[in-house]
Amino acid sequence: MKLTRRQVAPALLGMTVKAERPLKGGFVLESQDRGHQIRDRAQPSPTKRTVRVPAVIVGGGIAGLSAAWWMNRSGFKDFVLLEMESESGGNSRAGENEITRYPWAAHYLPVPSPNSRYVRLLCEELGLFRNGVWDERWLCHSPQERLFIHGRWQEGLEPHVGLTKDDIRQFDRFFARVAELRASGAFTIPLEQGIRKLKPAHAALDRLTLSDWMHHEGFFSPCLRWLADYSTRDDYGTGIDAVSAFAGLHYFAARESEEHGPLTWPEGNAWLARGIASRVQPNIRTGVMVSRIERAGNRWRVQAGDTLYEAETVIWAAPTWLARWVVSPQPPAYPLESAPWLVANLTMARWPAEKGLEPAWDNVIYNSPALGYVVATHQSLRTHIPKTVWTFYWALSQSSALDQRRILLGGDWRYWCDRIFADLERAHPDIRTCVERVDIFRIGHAMPRPAPGFLTNPARLALCKPSSGLAFANTDLSGLSLFEEAQYRGIEAAKYVLSVIGQR
Amino acid sequence: MAFVLFLSVFLIAACGLIYELIAGALASYLLGDSVLQFSTIIGSYLFAMGIGSWLSRFIDRFLVSRFITVELMVGLLGGFSSTILFLAFTWTTGFRLLLYLMVIAIGILVGLEIPLLMRILKERFQFKELVANVLTFDYLGALGASLLFPLLLVPHMGLVRSAMLFGLINAGVALWSTFLFRDQLPRASAQRFASIAVIALLTGGMFFGQTITDTADAALYADDVVLTRTTPYQRIALTRWKEDYRLYLNGHLQFSSRDEYRYHESLVHPAMASRPGARRALVLGGGDGLAVRELLKYPGLESITLVDLDPEMTRLFKSHSLLRSLNRDSLSSPKVKVVNADAFPWLQQSRELFDVAIIDFPDPNNYSLGKLYSTAFYRLLSRSLSEGGLAVVQSTSPMFARRSYWCIVETLKAAGLKTFPYHAYVPSFGEWGFVLASRNDWSPGGQLPQGLRFLTVSQMHALFEFPPDLAPVPTEVNRLNDQVLVRYYDQEWREIVR
Repeated sequence: MKLTRRQVAPALLGMTVKAERPLKGGFVLESQDRGHQIRDRAQPSPTKRTVRVPAVIVGGGIAGLSAAWWMNRSGFKDFVLLEMESESGGNSRAGENEITRYPWAAHYLPVPSPNSRYVRLLCEELGLFRNGVWDERWLCHSPQERLFIHGRWQEGLEPHVGLTKDDIRQFDRFFARVAELRASGAFTIPLEQGIRKLKPAHAALDRLTLSDWMHHEGFFSPCLRWLADYSTRDDYGTGIDAVSAFAGLHYFAARESEEHGPLTWPEGNAWLARGIASRVQPNIRTGVMVSRIERAGNRWRVQAGDTLYEAETVIWAAPTWLARWVVSPQPPAYPLESAPWLVANLTMARWPAEKGLEPAWDNVIYNSPALGYVVATHQSLRTHIPKTVWTFYWALSQSSALDQRRILLGGDWRYWCDRIFADLERAHPDIRTCVERVDIFRIGHAMPRPAPGFLTNPARLALCKPSSGLAFANTDLSGLSLFEEAQYRGIEAAKYVLSVIGQR
Repeated sequence: MAFVLFLSVFLIAACGLIYELIAGALASYLLGDSVLQFSTIIGSYLFAMGIGSWLSRFIDRFLVSRFITVELMVGLLGGFSSTILFLAFTWTTGFRLLLYLMVIAIGILVGLEIPLLMRILKERFQFKELVANVLTFDYLGALGASLLFPLLLVPHMGLVRSAMLFGLINAGVALWSTFLFRDQLPRASAQRFASIAVIALLTGGMFFGQTITDTADAALYADDVVLTRTTPYQRIALTRWKEDYRLYLNGHLQFSSRDEYRYHESLVHPAMASRPGARRALVLGGGDGLAVRELLKYPGLESITLVDLDPEMTRLFKSHSLLRSLNRDSLSSPKVKVVNADAFPWLQQSRELFDVAIIDFPDPNNYSLGKLYSTAFYRLLSRSLSEGGLAVVQSTSPMFARRSYWCIVETLKAAGLKTFPYHAYVPSFGEWGFVLASRNDWSPGGQLPQGLRFLTVSQMHALFEFPPDLAPVPTEVNRLNDQVLVRYYDQEWREIVR
C-alpha cells in the first residue's frame, strides 16, 4: 500500500494506534431468576384486589399480541394481556443506542405467500403491502447475503466456491427433491394447513433425523450438508443430526417467494411487535408475573402479582413447557427440548477492513459453530455509515439442550466476548480493534427443537386442542419458532375464546 | 587558503540559487502557471537579497560570528524549506503566504552573505582582486547549481532532500569557517557546537526526508497532484497536466477543466432553458459548484439548494482560489444554500418543492450509491418536484455501460415518471448519458443563456437522438431490495477497464 502524505506525519511521530479498544458491555435482559421463581414455586405476593375479566392472555410475545390484535379487530376489547418483562414482544424485542436500533432475537419476516392470509392482513394494516405492492423501504436491501468460505466472501449463502461437479449435482438433486415436496402441498405455513394433506410418505419424514434422511437419499456433499445444518440451526436451534427431517425439509419446502425479500427492519421483528402492541396498548400489563392459574368452578383464577384475575377464558401464550409449573389441573408435559441461544449486539466504532464483497445484511462464516451476524444499519438510506451495530447469533446446538444451557450460563461475559471474537476473527482479523461494546442476551429457552416424532406426539396434539376455556397459543405448539406460526396460533386461540364467550 | 575561501563563495552562491529554484519549482508544481511562479519568486528573492545587502551595513562588529550565524540560519531555513512548504500545502490554506515569506526570509539571509564575506576578506586581498574573485565564484556557483538542479537533483534526490543537502552545505561552510577564522572568533566552540547541531538536524531530516520524498514526490511527478484531502467521506484529489485540472473522488474522475463545460451545459440547460419561469432549483451531489455555475446563468432563479455529503468538498470549492475560478465562485452566491447532508434521508425529510432538480451523484459502482438510483429514491424525487417540475439525472455512459444507462431510464419510469433520455460527447468521459424526467409531458426547446460554449438550440435537439449503438436495451428495474444496476454497472465497466 502506498502511503499518503497525510499518513506519513502520524507514522513518523509513532502515533498510529493499533491497540485493542477497551471493551464495554455485559449481559442484558436477564430473566433466569424470575423464571426459576415460577419453577421453584415461590410464594406469590398476597392478593390486594380481584378483577373479573372475560379473557386473560398470558405472555406478550407474537402469539399473545396476535391473539390480542385479533380480538381487538373483532370488536372484543374486554381482555388483559399479562407480560412478565417490562416490554412486550418476547423473541421480537429490540434495543437501541446512539447509532441505531437493533434486534434481540427475531429479525425478519419472509415475504408472506398469498396462503399466509393473516400475515398479509397484518402487513396491509401496517402499511407494508399496498395495492398489491410490497414497500421497497422494508424489503431487505441489496446485498442480502454473503458467505465467508475458503478465505473469501461469496454472494449468497449457498456455497459456490470450491465445489466439485458431484457437489453441484447433489445441490441440484436436493433442490429438485425440495420442489417435489413443495408441490405436494404438505409443507405449509402455518403447519396445520398442510398436515391435513399429509401422505404416509411425508409423515414418515418425521420418524428420522434430517441427517439420516440425507444419508438415505445419498446426499453426502459436505457443502450441502453444511447448508442444511446451518439452516436448521438458524431456524430451529438444532443441527441436522437432531432435527426431524420433516421440520428440516419444511424450512426449504414451505416457502416460495414471489418477491425479493425478506422484510426486515433495523430493530428486527420488534417493528412488527410494536406495531401490533400499539393497537392493543390499553389492554397490556407489563412487568406482571403470573404465578398460578387454577380452575375454580367454571372460571379460571389467574394470580398475577398482587392481582387475582377471575376469567372465563385464558390464552396461554407463554412458552408451553412453563405451563406445568403454573396451570392446575396440570397439562401434559411439553414434549420438545428448548434450544439455548446467545444473541450479542456488537457496537462497532468502525467497520473492519474489507476486501472483495461489500458487507451484506446477513453475513455467515462457513463451518462456524455460530450463525454469523446481521448488520442493523443495513436498511438505512444513508450512503455514509461510519458506525454500526452487528447482531451476532449463536444457537448452542452441539449437544443436549440441558448441557448447552449449562455452558451458556456458565461462561462469564469476558468468556463469551472471546468466543465471539474468535469466531469473527476468521473473516475479520481486525475485529477486536473495531468493537467498542458487546451486549449479550443469554436466552436459556429460545425456541423448541423439533425432534423426530414431534408431528404425531400425543402430548403436543393434546396441547393443541383448547378445552374448558383454556387455549394454548405459543408457537412451540407447532414445533417451529416462526412469526407466522406464532401469529396463527394466537389468532386460532383468540377465535376459540371469542366462540366460548359468544356462547354465554 | 585563498582557494578555500573562494570555494566557500562558490558553495554559498550555489546554495542560494538552489533554494530559489526549489521554491520556484515547488510553486509551479503545486499551483501551476510556471511562468508566473518563477517570475514572482525570482523577483521577490532578488529583491529580498537587496534588502539583505542593505541590512548588512547595520552589522558593525563580530563579522565572522555574524556570518556563521547567517550561514546556519540559511542552512536551516533553506534546508527545510521544501519540507515546510509541502506540509503547509497539505495541511493549511495559507500556502502562498508562507511561500513568499520563506522566499523573502531566505533571500534576505542570502543577501547578507556576500557583503559580510567581502568585508571579512577585505583585509587579505586587494579590493579589485576581491570583487573580481568573489563575483566570479558567485556566478560560477550559480551556473553549477542551475545545471545540477534539473539534471541530477530533481530526478535523483527530489525536492525535499535536495533542499536538505544544500542546507548541509551551508552548515558545513559555517563549521569550517569556525576553524578558518578561529582567531577572529570570541566564542568559536559555541558556534562550532551550533554548527554541529544544525548538521545533525539536517542529517536527521535527510533520513526522514526519504519517507516524505518518496510519497510526496511520487505523487508530484507521477500525476502532478495539486491538492489532496482525505475526508471521512472520500479522498479528494485535484491533478494538473499542463492547463488541464482534473478532480478525482476516490480515484474516479469527476471532471476535467478542459471539457467540463460540455458536461455541465448538457446537464443543466435542456431542463432550465425549457422552464423560463423556474424559481427554485435543487442540486444533489455536485459539490464542485459547476452545475450551480450553469444554473446561475438564469437570473429568474430565486434559490438554489445544493445538497452534498462532504463539507470539505463544498468548503474547498468555496474557498480555494483555483477551484473558485473554475466554478466562478458560484457557491458564494447569495442565492445558493449549501446543505451538507446525505441526499436520501435529506430528500425524505424535505417538504420543499423544486421546479428543477439536478441529480449529479457519482456512478452507481457500489450498493451504497446504488440506493440513490432506486425506484424508492425516484419516488421521493418525484414528490419533491413542483407541478411541471423537471429532474435531470446524470446516468453514466450509454456507450460503455449501455444496460446501466437504460436501467436508470426504466427505474425512473417504474417510479411513475416520464423520461426523456439524452446524451452528449465529453472527451474526457466519452459519450455520456443524462435522463430528464418529469410527471408531465416535455419536449426540448426554449431560450438558452448567452455565452455557452457547447449547446445551441438546434444542437440541443440533436442530443435527444440515439444512434443504433446507443439505442435502448431491455433491463430490469433497480430497486432497493434488488439492485440490478450495481451488477450491470460492474459487469459493463469491467469489460472496458483493463
